[in-house]
Amino acid sequence: MGIFAKDKPESAAPDAARSDSDTAFFGAKLSIMGKVTGSGNLIVMGKLEGEVDLAGELVVAAPAVLNGEIRAVTLAVSGTVTGTKSAGEKTHLEKSAVVSGLMNAPRLSVVDGATFNGEIEMKKPANGIVPPKRSDKK
Amino acid sequence: MAKEASSGTTSLVSRPVVVEGEISGEENLHVDGRVKGVIRLSGDLFVGTSGVVEAEIDARSIVIQGAVTGKVLARRQLEVQPSGRFNGEATAASYEIRQGAVFEGISRMLGSKSQAEKPAAPAEPEMKK
Repeated sequence: MGIFAKDKPESAAPDAARSDSDTAFFGAKLSIMGKVTGSGNLIVMGKLEGEVDLAGELVVAAPAVLNGEIRAVTLAVSGTVTGTKSAGEKTHLEKSAVVSGLMNAPRLSVVDGATFNGEIEMKKPANGIVPPKRSDKK
Repeated sequence: MAKEASSGTTSLVSRPVVVEGEISGEENLHVDGRVKGVIRLSGDLFVGTSGVVEAEIDARSIVIQGAVTGKVLARRQLEVQPSGRFNGEATAASYEIRQGAVFEGISRMLGSKSQAEKPAAPAEPEMKK
């Protein structure tokens, strides 16, 4: 069920959320302001402003717009993300990704065409979770 | 399991996920996890058996199988199913409270002129589990 385990199309299929009850799904016409936490996976296609702290996979699928502080085990982006991002294992930016701010991930893959403005740190975490480093860079 | 309404997509707050803040949009929402804050939807809200919602809610229809606490507006219908628990202040165009459900608080009918407050009679004092 790993998002990274299979070659997914650029836009994550929202229907995946239906078959996996641990995967939360926020559709394109949904806006969330606040904090999202938990141990499951999350696919976001709408707007999210605030904080995401997930012990699972976070998929930011176009046309999603995220602004805030993000922590997850793996992060896959084909939408727009601004702010501080920490992935314990891996971050993947698709062609349509527009990302800015600080990114912290021990493994990083970027598809040709992705936009990234910011700072990258590639630290190997001791416990699997990269400690967040707050940054005001936007 | 989510009620697919004519308005399209149904978002899902899954069981291991907690949302604190405001959720708004033109979708339906299915909650199996926890939501605390505000929910404003043009579509329907479905709270599954494991769902726990403490929020001010404005939605078209609301179906409760889990637990909901707060001030709730259902522009169409509020339905509390046998496993559901509601505690708070509800305004709805119509109500369906199944046997075994818990409804504690105030109910008002949407559109009624007097909108007289009346304490809702609990369908059953104890929950069926």
